[in-house]
Amino acid sequence: MGRIVGIDLGTTNSLVAYTDPQTGAPKCIPGPNGSTLCPSVVSLDPDGSIIVGEPARRRLLTQSERSIYSVKRLMGRGVADIQTELKLFPFRIDPSSKNVIRIKLGDKFFTPPEISAFILRELKNWAEAYFGDTVDRAVVTVPAYFNDAQRQATKDAGKIAGLEVLRLVNEPTAAALAYGLHEKQRGRVAVYDLGGGTFDISVLKLISTSEGDIYQVLSTNGDTHLGGDDIDNLMQSVVREKILQHHRVDVSTQPELAQELRKALIATKHQLSDSKSATLRFPLPNGSIFAHEFSRAEFDALIGPIVDRTMGPVKQALADAHLTPSEIEEVVLVGGTTRTPLIRTTVQEYFGRKPHTELNPDEVVALGAAVQANILDRGVQNMLLLDVTPLSLGIETYGGAVAKVIPRNSTIPASAQEMYTTGVDNQTGIDIHVLQGERELAKDCRSLARFTLKVPPAPAGLPRIEVRFLIDANGILQVAAKDLRNGQQHSVEVQPSYGISDTEIERMLEDSIEYAEQDFAERQVIEARTESEAILAATQKALTSASSATLSTEERATIDQSVAALKESVAGNDYKLIRKRIDELNHATTHLAELVMNGAVSTALEGRKLAEV
Amino acid sequence: MDRTENRMSTPSTAPERIDHFTLFDLPRKLWIEMSGLEQKFLQLSWKLHPDNFVNASAEEQERSLKRSSEVNDAYRVLRDPVARVEYLLEIEGARKEGEHKQQAPPELLEEVFELNESLDELREAKESGGDLAALKSRLESAQKNFQEKLGEVDERLQVAAQQWDAAVEAKAGDNDRKAIMVRLNELLNRRSYIRNLVNNVAKELA
Repeated sequence: MGRIVGIDLGTTNSLVAYTDPQTGAPKCIPGPNGSTLCPSVVSLDPDGSIIVGEPARRRLLTQSERSIYSVKRLMGRGVADIQTELKLFPFRIDPSSKNVIRIKLGDKFFTPPEISAFILRELKNWAEAYFGDTVDRAVVTVPAYFNDAQRQATKDAGKIAGLEVLRLVNEPTAAALAYGLHEKQRGRVAVYDLGGGTFDISVLKLISTSEGDIYQVLSTNGDTHLGGDDIDNLMQSVVREKILQHHRVDVSTQPELAQELRKALIATKHQLSDSKSATLRFPLPNGSIFAHEFSRAEFDALIGPIVDRTMGPVKQALADAHLTPSEIEEVVLVGGTTRTPLIRTTVQEYFGRKPHTELNPDEVVALGAAVQANILDRGVQNMLLLDVTPLSLGIETYGGAVAKVIPRNSTIPASAQEMYTTGVDNQTGIDIHVLQGERELAKDCRSLARFTLKVPPAPAGLPRIEVRFLIDANGILQVAAKDLRNGQQHSVEVQPSYGISDTEIERMLEDSIEYAEQDFAERQVIEARTESEAILAATQKALTSASSATLSTEERATIDQSVAALKESVAGNDYKLIRKRIDELNHATTHLAELVMNGAVSTALEGRKLAEV
Repeated sequence: MDRTENRMSTPSTAPERIDHFTLFDLPRKLWIEMSGLEQKFLQLSWKLHPDNFVNASAEEQERSLKRSSEVNDAYRVLRDPVARVEYLLEIEGARKEGEHKQQAPPELLEEVFELNESLDELREAKESGGDLAALKSRLESAQKNFQEKLGEVDERLQVAAQQWDAAVEAKAGDNDRKAIMVRLNELLNRRSYIRNLVNNVAKELA
């Protein structure tokens, strides 16, 4: 048996973490470039290799038709569900997709779970390189408000990636675990989790008993179409409009330019978290520069509606927990987007207390997943997680109404039994349609699955089949049926409304193994060499440019030494050494980069490396 | 898919095997001490939660799944005073929903009629863009009125529940118990009807 890890499969970034057996403390595992963040971006190179993470993010700018980001927005959804997304994101969808979306990368098609599986495999590789040991099991997090199909898709992704997913954990609950361990806090806690594409609010009770600590979720609510991406898209629409007006350039017709703009806007957005204003300077293809200063006030006004949208679920979650804001003793902020000042002040005002931000909002979910992984793996006996299902489970009845059988916020596992019989003589099938949601009509709820109970012909009302609907600890529905007349298990063939069949998953697993066969270490060497080529070329160019005139002889000598060391390492196969030499050269050329920058007009450049100038 | 009404069957609840009261070691009485119930729930959860059985055999996992869902289901029902009464009546075979669910209790007939009229007027005014203020305020006072009635039903439900518990303690005969259950059943139906009214008004006023 290999190792177990905790994975945060995020919309914007994904992370992998483990629990140190010595200290019992969770830790995020860094990737080859030293960062613990793996951008949730996947790219298909022309030679057929799959690229994930930071290198794939760069390819968004150069090969946008072969790359994809924010695939989490497509998980467990059908084409009809993502019409808004299609307007705002450059997803290229196979038009014949219906209930399982097929995305085009280059000339190939992939389903969202397959793409997520590439990300999971990448993180698996990071962990295996770190441990020097195989990793075969994981706890993977999902938004608390994810429905059954979205959860199933995530589990499928794990399977395709060659990981046994021991448990899906809700992201706010994972964050609470990480904080609970870290802060030793107890009492009523609200977790406000705003990520790249999803929003969750969970209300928990943390209890200490003689047996150990209990993390009990009281209620959860959210919006799976709401996140930092929406802020980016708002900024995009404002800026694109201005660019069209003032410069007659239509960004929407140029995919790579759009990605450049998106990247620049994200940098501007981040700056606005720390400053009262930030200026976007964006070079256009015709040579002119588009400049726009965002004031904090303007930015707040722009994103106000998004922040307001989060408060509806917050109020509902408190109501469902029968609590008022002042009865919440601790508030925790999770997700990169919660760095936005307007969100911090809004949350603080609403709850009347300062939220916790001590743990890195990007890492805290992965850390919590690692804690849960540890609990499951080592049978830790002093922590208990009691989570809930976010949506009511219902069955369609006469006239298209819905009868709720398991209410939302029921502690899971949860079940309900319903007895079925026939309405007419010799009826041979009883149709059952299962849904999730709070509305009263089936058409307004989320179709989960349909199935038909087969019965031998008999007078109406004679057959008695008891169906048990069970929501397991992952929040996923299981169905079992029993014929009450003979006590036998009745077979049930459930047709999920949005999902991939088991045979298709097997096929995808085989395909993904083929992709994975390109050796991880080999690929790291290729990537490192590519990066070193870029920095060597940039260094060369800078050294011969006018800006380098003021360099001292010592600096030049150091740079030359670093260049020689890097060239030597590139000739070898040790990717860690190549990266070390790249870092050294970056360090040696910091001053040179500034000199070049001062001579150039470009987008906000503080902290940029020479290769990016 | 053919969804003619004949093929859709009406679900009805089947009786449980291990009833919720037994699972929590409680007598079939309607008053339950809440913190004791919670303690028992947490104790059972520690033992049975699927997280404890992740490395166990498939059978043990299946059993833990089943048993922990039983505990959660039972706790969910027992901690809600109204669901508790409903459940008790079900396992005693005494739960009969109102035959004509939409029919108002006789003494409320006139008020319900007025309320429905006001609701219709409000809906029409919303569509035709008429003056909503007066209509809304009339509905708001009707809502208040019915909320009070809901409170009254809850009080009477509590009294009847106490009578049931007393009867259990006194080991009263079948007829006495049946009579109390009939009363509880009536009150539940009445409560359900009034609550629907209150919800409908709240929806229109929102």
